[in-house]
Amino acid sequence: MSQTSVQTIEYDDRTVRRFLYATILFGIVGMAVGVLIAFQLNFWQMNGKFLEYLTFGALKAEGIQYLTFSRLRPLHTNAAIFAFVGNMMFAGIYYSLQRLCKVRLASDFLSGLHFWGWQAIIVAAAITLPAGFTRGKEYAELIWPINIAVAFIWIVFAVNFFWTLAKRNERSIYVAIWFYIATIITVAMLYIVNHLSIPTGILHSYPIFGGVQDALVQWWYGHNAVAFFLTTPILGIMYYFVPKAARRPVYSYRLSVIHFWSLVFIYIWAGPHHLLNTALPAWLQALGMIFSLMLWAPSWGGMLNGLLTLRGAWHRLRTDPVLKFFAAGVTFYGMATFEGPLLSIKSVNGLAHYSGWIIGHVHSGTLGWNGFMAAGMIYWLVPRLWRKDSMPAKVHDEQTSCAGLHSMALANMHFWLGLVGILLYIGAMWVSGVTQGLMLNAVDGTVLAYPDFVETLNAIRAPMLFRAIGGTFYLLGFFLLAYNILRTIWGSRVVNGRTEVTVDHTRPQSFAGSLVNAPVTYTSLLIIFACLWLFGGGLWMLVGGFGTVGTVVLAIVHFEVSGARWKDWYAKLLQNSAGFTALTFLSVAIGGAVQIVPTVTVERARNIEGRIQVPYTPLELAGRDLYVSNGCYTCHSQMIRTMVPDVLRYGPSPEQGYSRLGESIYDFPFQWGSRRIGPDLAREGGPIVEGNQLMRSGLRNNEWHYLHLMDPRSTSPGSNMPAYPWLAEQEIDLDQLFRRLRVQRDVLGVPYDPDWGKDQVAELVEIQSLEIARDLREKSIFVKPESEMVAIIAYLQKLGVYEETNQPRTELVQR
Amino acid sequence: MTMNPNQDTPKETSGKTEAGRRRKDSGVVLMDHEYDGIQEFDQRLPNWWLITLYGAIVFAVGYWFFYFQSNVGESDVEKLDRQLAVIQEKNLEATLAMLDNDNLWEMSEDPAMVAAGRETYTAVCVACHGAELEGGVGFNLADAEWVHPQDAIGVYKVIEEGIAGSGMAAWGGVLGPKRVAEVTAYVLSYHEPDAIP
Repeated sequence: MSQTSVQTIEYDDRTVRRFLYATILFGIVGMAVGVLIAFQLNFWQMNGKFLEYLTFGALKAEGIQYLTFSRLRPLHTNAAIFAFVGNMMFAGIYYSLQRLCKVRLASDFLSGLHFWGWQAIIVAAAITLPAGFTRGKEYAELIWPINIAVAFIWIVFAVNFFWTLAKRNERSIYVAIWFYIATIITVAMLYIVNHLSIPTGILHSYPIFGGVQDALVQWWYGHNAVAFFLTTPILGIMYYFVPKAARRPVYSYRLSVIHFWSLVFIYIWAGPHHLLNTALPAWLQALGMIFSLMLWAPSWGGMLNGLLTLRGAWHRLRTDPVLKFFAAGVTFYGMATFEGPLLSIKSVNGLAHYSGWIIGHVHSGTLGWNGFMAAGMIYWLVPRLWRKDSMPAKVHDEQTSCAGLHSMALANMHFWLGLVGILLYIGAMWVSGVTQGLMLNAVDGTVLAYPDFVETLNAIRAPMLFRAIGGTFYLLGFFLLAYNILRTIWGSRVVNGRTEVTVDHTRPQSFAGSLVNAPVTYTSLLIIFACLWLFGGGLWMLVGGFGTVGTVVLAIVHFEVSGARWKDWYAKLLQNSAGFTALTFLSVAIGGAVQIVPTVTVERARNIEGRIQVPYTPLELAGRDLYVSNGCYTCHSQMIRTMVPDVLRYGPSPEQGYSRLGESIYDFPFQWGSRRIGPDLAREGGPIVEGNQLMRSGLRNNEWHYLHLMDPRSTSPGSNMPAYPWLAEQEIDLDQLFRRLRVQRDVLGVPYDPDWGKDQVAELVEIQSLEIARDLREKSIFVKPESEMVAIIAYLQKLGVYEETNQPRTELVQR
Repeated sequence: MTMNPNQDTPKETSGKTEAGRRRKDSGVVLMDHEYDGIQEFDQRLPNWWLITLYGAIVFAVGYWFFYFQSNVGESDVEKLDRQLAVIQEKNLEATLAMLDNDNLWEMSEDPAMVAAGRETYTAVCVACHGAELEGGVGFNLADAEWVHPQDAIGVYKVIEEGIAGSGMAAWGGVLGPKRVAEVTAYVLSYHEPDAIP
C-alpha cells in the first residue's frame, strides 16, 4: 500500500530567468563576433586597420592582435556553443525538469553556483582567447585552468539535476529527460577525455595525445559536442516545449524510444567523418562514414516527432510566433541532419571538406535549429515568468501561446529577418563551398586547372559577402528579440510556478532489477558479437557471426514463447533513473572505446607508415606554439589528403605523396585543420641550408615569409590574411620554452636529448635565430633574433620534414 | 466519423475521454501517461522511415564487407597510387617527346628511374655489356671512352635505334620510350654530367 501526502511546491524559476538573461546577452555577443569575423574574411582591414580609419589616423595599426580573425574565430565558436546555446539549454532544462518531475530544483545553492560559475567561465574565455591563450583544438581551445572549472561546474549541474530527478514526484521519466540524461553524462565523458593535458605553466598545456591519436580524440569530441551539446538537449527541449506550445500530444511514443536509443548509440561512432581522406587509418574512416549514414533515420525520427506533433495546430502557425520558430527550427534540424550524412560520403567529402560548405552546414544547425528553438522557447517562457497587470490573463489563447509579449509584430519580424538571414547564409555557403571545392580539385590532364590558391579565394568573394549580410540579418533579428523581451519585462513582477502534488513515499524498484533482465542481456550480447564479427579475424569473426545470428534468433524465440513485451520492461526501466543512466552511458561509451582504444594503445612505431617526423628544434617548437596560439589552424591545414589534386597541389612532388601518419607524430596538438581559407602548409619547409647548422629553407625563403607575415598582400596579391606585424616586436620567452620542451621530452616522449639543460636550449635557440636573422639582414631586413617573427619563420621552414624509416631505401648507385 | 488529423478537435483541453474516443476513430493509440499535461500518441513508425533506417544499416554492413573483408574494394591509397601513376606516365611521355641532354641527366639522378633502368639492364643488356657495365661482347659503358654517342641524347638514340652493322640491336620497339629512358638514366648514373655534354 502506498503512503501519500499532498504538498504545495513553488518552482525555482529565478534560476531559469537568470539563464534567460545570460542567453540573450551572450547570444548577441557571440553572433556579433560572428558577423565581425565574416566581414574580416572579405575585408582584411577589419582585422584592426579599420581603427586607423575611424580615428582619422590617430591610431596606427596594420592589425591588432586581439582582433585578428584567427583569434576571434575560436571566441565566436565558443561563445555561440557554450555561452549562447549553453545558457539556453540550462534555462530550458531547469524549467522543464522541475515540471516534469513535479519538484523544486534540489538545491538553490547548486543552482546559483551553476549559474555564476558558468558565467565566470564565459568571461574568462572572452579574455583568454583574444589574448592568445589557447589549447589549439577546435571547441576545446580554453586553457586548462578553465577546463577544470568547466568540468567542476558541469558536475555541479549533474548533481543538481540527478538530485532533483531522485526527488521527483512522478514515477517515470518523460522523453525530454532521457535526452537531458544523455547530454549530461556524454558531455562529461567527451570533455574530460579530450581535455587531458600536461600543464607547462598556469596558462599553457600540451594535450597528452599527439598526431593521429589527438586527431581522432579531438573529432570524437568535436563531432559529439555537436551531437550532445547542440542536439540532444535541444531535442529534449523540443519534446517539452513543442507539445506545450501546440497543445497537442507528441506524435509517437515508440518513435521517441527507437530514435533516442539509436541516436545515442550511433552518434558517437561518426566522429571520424571529420577526417575523411586524411592519413587516418581506413577502417576508422569507413566507420565514420557508415555510421553517419545510419544516423540519418534516427535524426529524422526526432524531426518527425517534432513536426508531426504540430498536426492539428498547423493553422496556428499564422498567428503564433512561438510555433513559427519551432516549426522552422525543427525543419532546419531535418535539413542539417540530412546534409550531415551526405557530407560524410567520402567522395562528397573530398569536394566539401575544408570548404565553406561545412561552415554553411554548421550554421544551418546553429542558426536554424539552435537559434530558432531558443527564440521560440524564450518567447514562450517570458510571459510566463514575468507578469504585469496590462497582460492578458491567459497566456495561451486562440491566437498565440505567448500572449502578453510586448509585440507580436516584432516577434514575427524577428522570425522573417532570421529566416531570410539563414537562407542567405547557407545558400551563399553552398555556392562558396562548391565553387572553391571544384576549383581546388580541378585537374586538367596532368596539372591543376587553378594552381594559384588566391584565385580560388577570390572566386568566392561574392558569396562570402552574402554570408556576412545574411549573418547581419540574423543578428538584427536577435536584437529585435532582445528589445521585445526587455520591453515585456520592463515594469513587470516575477512569477514563480506553483503546483500541488501528491507525494508518494513508496520506494521505486531496485537499480539492479532494471538492468538484469532479458532485453538488456540480449542487446549487450548482440553488440559484443557484432563487434567481434566486424573487427575480429579468423575464429573470432566466425564466433561473432554465428553469435549475432544466434542471439537474434534466441531473442525472438524467447519473446514469442514467454509473451514478454519490450514495452512492459521499458516502462519499468523508465521508473529507475539510475538504471536508465547506466544503460545510456554504456551505449555512448561503446563507439568511442572501439575506435579510440586501439589507436591510442597501438605502438607509435607501427602507426607511422614508414615515415617519421624530425623533432622540432627548440626555436622551431617556440614557433609552433606561436602558430597554435595565434590560431593559424583556423585557416591553414597541415594534411595532404589521399586525393590527386591535394598531392599535386601540396605534395610538392608526387613521390612524397599524401601525408603519412608519422609526419605529425610529435605534434601536440595535431594541426590537421578543418578549413582551408589559405593553402595547406604540411610540406612548407625544407632541408637545412648549406653553410648553416640549423637554418632551413623550404618552398619559399625567409625573406618571403617575413614580408608575407608583415603584409600578406605584398607577396600574395588578393590574399585576405590578416597582417601579423607584432610578431616582429614581441620576444619569445626562453624559460617558458625550456619548461615546455621538458614536458615534451619527459612526459610526452619526444626524443630530445635527455641531457639538454636550459643553457643548451638557449644556445640552440641562439644559433638558429642568428642564422635566420643574418639571412634576412643580407636582404636588408633587420629583425631582432629573439623576436617571435624569427621563431615562427623557423617553424614554417621546418614543416613537413621527415625521415623514411624501415622502408628499404632505394639503393643509390655509385657515382 | 473520421477525424482530420490536421484539424483541432473542437475542445482541445477536454482530456482523456475525448482523446480516448479519437483513438477509436482513427486507430491511433494515446498512451495513458501524462507529464505536466503533455500526452503522447503511439503512432506506427512510418514505413519510409523504417526503410531508410534498415537500408542504411544494410548498406553499412555491405560497405564494410566490400572494403574490409572481401579484399575486392580498392583502398584509397591504392586508388591514389593508380591515378598518380597515370599522371606520372603522361608527364614522362611529355618529357620523352621533348627529350634533351638536361632532362636525361636529371633522370640519372632520380633513384627510382635508375633502379627501374637497372632492372631492364639486368634483363636485356647484361649479356653483352656486363653486370658492372664493364663490357664484354659489347663496349665498356662505365669508362671514360665514348665510341658511338657523343652526348646523353646520343646514348638514348643508340639504345633506341641500335647501331647498324654492329651487334647492337634497336631496342626502342621492344622496350618502349619509357624503359629506354630508364636504361639511359642507369647508364648515365655511372658518369658525371660534365664528362660529356
